[in-house]
Amino acid sequence: MVDLTQYLPILIFLVIAVGLSSAFVFLPMGVARLTGAHKPEPAKLTEYECGFPAFEDARSQFDVRFYLVAILFIIFDLEAAFLFPWAVSLEEIGWAGWATMMIFLAELTLGLVYAWKKGALDWE
Amino acid sequence: MTADLALIWPELILTIGGLITLMLGTFLGDRQVGIYQLSALLTLAAAAAAVVALFGVETTVFSGTLSVDGFGGFAKLLIYAASFVCILIAPRFFSGGMRAEYPTLIVFAALGMGIMASARDLMTLYVGLELNSLAAYVLASFMRTDERSSEAGLKYFVLGALASGMLLYGISLLYGFTGTTDFAGIAAAMGGQLNIGLIFGIVFVLAGLGFKVSAVPFHMWTPDVYEGAPTPVTTFFASAPKVAAMALMTRVVIDAMGPALGAWQQIIIFLALASIILGAVGAIGQKNIKRLLAYSSINNVGFMLIGLAAGTQQGVEGVLTYLLVYVVTTLGAFLVVLQLRDADGNQIESIPALAGLSQRRPGLAAAMAVFMFSLAGIPPLFGFWPKYLVFEAAVNANLVPLAVAGIVASVIGAFYYIAIIKMMYFDDKSDTEIPAGGGAIVEDAVITASALWLSVIGYLFIPVLAVVSASAAAVLF
Repeated sequence: MVDLTQYLPILIFLVIAVGLSSAFVFLPMGVARLTGAHKPEPAKLTEYECGFPAFEDARSQFDVRFYLVAILFIIFDLEAAFLFPWAVSLEEIGWAGWATMMIFLAELTLGLVYAWKKGALDWE
Repeated sequence: MTADLALIWPELILTIGGLITLMLGTFLGDRQVGIYQLSALLTLAAAAAAVVALFGVETTVFSGTLSVDGFGGFAKLLIYAASFVCILIAPRFFSGGMRAEYPTLIVFAALGMGIMASARDLMTLYVGLELNSLAAYVLASFMRTDERSSEAGLKYFVLGALASGMLLYGISLLYGFTGTTDFAGIAAAMGGQLNIGLIFGIVFVLAGLGFKVSAVPFHMWTPDVYEGAPTPVTTFFASAPKVAAMALMTRVVIDAMGPALGAWQQIIIFLALASIILGAVGAIGQKNIKRLLAYSSINNVGFMLIGLAAGTQQGVEGVLTYLLVYVVTTLGAFLVVLQLRDADGNQIESIPALAGLSQRRPGLAAAMAVFMFSLAGIPPLFGFWPKYLVFEAAVNANLVPLAVAGIVASVIGAFYYIAIIKMMYFDDKSDTEIPAGGGAIVEDAVITASALWLSVIGYLFIPVLAVVSASAAAVLF
């Protein structure tokens, strides 16, 4: 027979977590409904104030510039993802590791220079 | 690690040279074709010189992930030379639309291919392969306003990603069942009883690599991509990446899967026969010369795989010799296609337009005839020699039925090569005017040189070639 008492902490945690998170969701809604003015309009009812509508056919055309920004974001996001483990282990990998990362950063910088010069960063 | 850096000079030169080329193009503008083209050409030449300077070195660098040896050196020289030619011929084709990204991407692709040819770890294998593939996807859609070029790029990208997925799955299985990504370690683990997981690993890795060399049944992308991509890019796809992928496949099956000969030999034999037969039969109905050459490349890959199927040093020598002759022939044939322009300067790709070419452009028709006869493997021409070598290797490895089937299928292949020659020499002139191009001294020189080398002069090189390919192949055994 499994001793269920050892799971008491997680049970308490779940009850409190579910209760609290429900409160966070429904309490503001209730308070707002009771106290605020209720004048819905399409712009207020959309999920986000700007960008694409959240629910529509996935096969719509969109500006290729969004794609470009997304690619540039991924590249520099990954750069940051590489930097964290490198920074933590720098003491062990020494100057060779330092030089390797500097070369990597320099190559990325050249990529940025290329993107900049080609006008990939200008929205208009 | 610093000592290791001195052994990878070709890769370092290509990296730095590629970046310099990119920056030159970015800051001087795409109009300064001469400058960035020269930078890319010098980079490739310097990298080739570095490979030659490392001649005779046989070691591994970076904890055994990359090897520096004669086999990789042979493949790299071939890759750099083919890339060199593909950069050389581009400005005239693109005329005003030449951009600095073209030579830059070719240099980076050459870097990736060099890594493929010297990888001796599944990780470096994949890095090299992707470095080459990513550049290739962009190159395929280089004429971005052209619908067919964009389609070729997209198709290549989607199918290439699928093939990379299969390859990675195979790699993960091999790693899971052997506990290492090192080729030597995998070979050691394969020495014992083969379990089903390892067999699936071998199957998936070979399927992924089969896609890269466009062996049947993973060839479906080849005709469409070759047809849609700009002709200099097609020339590139048909030459350098084939060398890299074939060298990689050879190293993987011999070095990493050597003890499991019985398992991979069946697969390679199937790939070889299917490629030879489908490449030959598929080419017959083609109306577009680039599609026809695509099927011809599938067919030729099949013959190379016969040499590989033997799994002996003699077989690998045959593959290397075959690659050299194949690259020269393919470059020549595509350069001839590049010369075919109508009176308005538009590229001609339809085969019926070639009718009566011998009366309009006798020199060009003669060169094309040499390349076609050579691809068909008809004896006086040098294309016969590598075919002889791979068949000899297959017979010596007790694969007589395979050799017989290959020879029979090569007769089917000869049909469409000879049909083109017949069309050029014996048919009435087509309505399409093909005026002399003029001003393409470099291209004419390359065509002439390759046609001459393939005709008779090539045979003078056999002793040299035999020594070089033997010493390159000996590395793997």
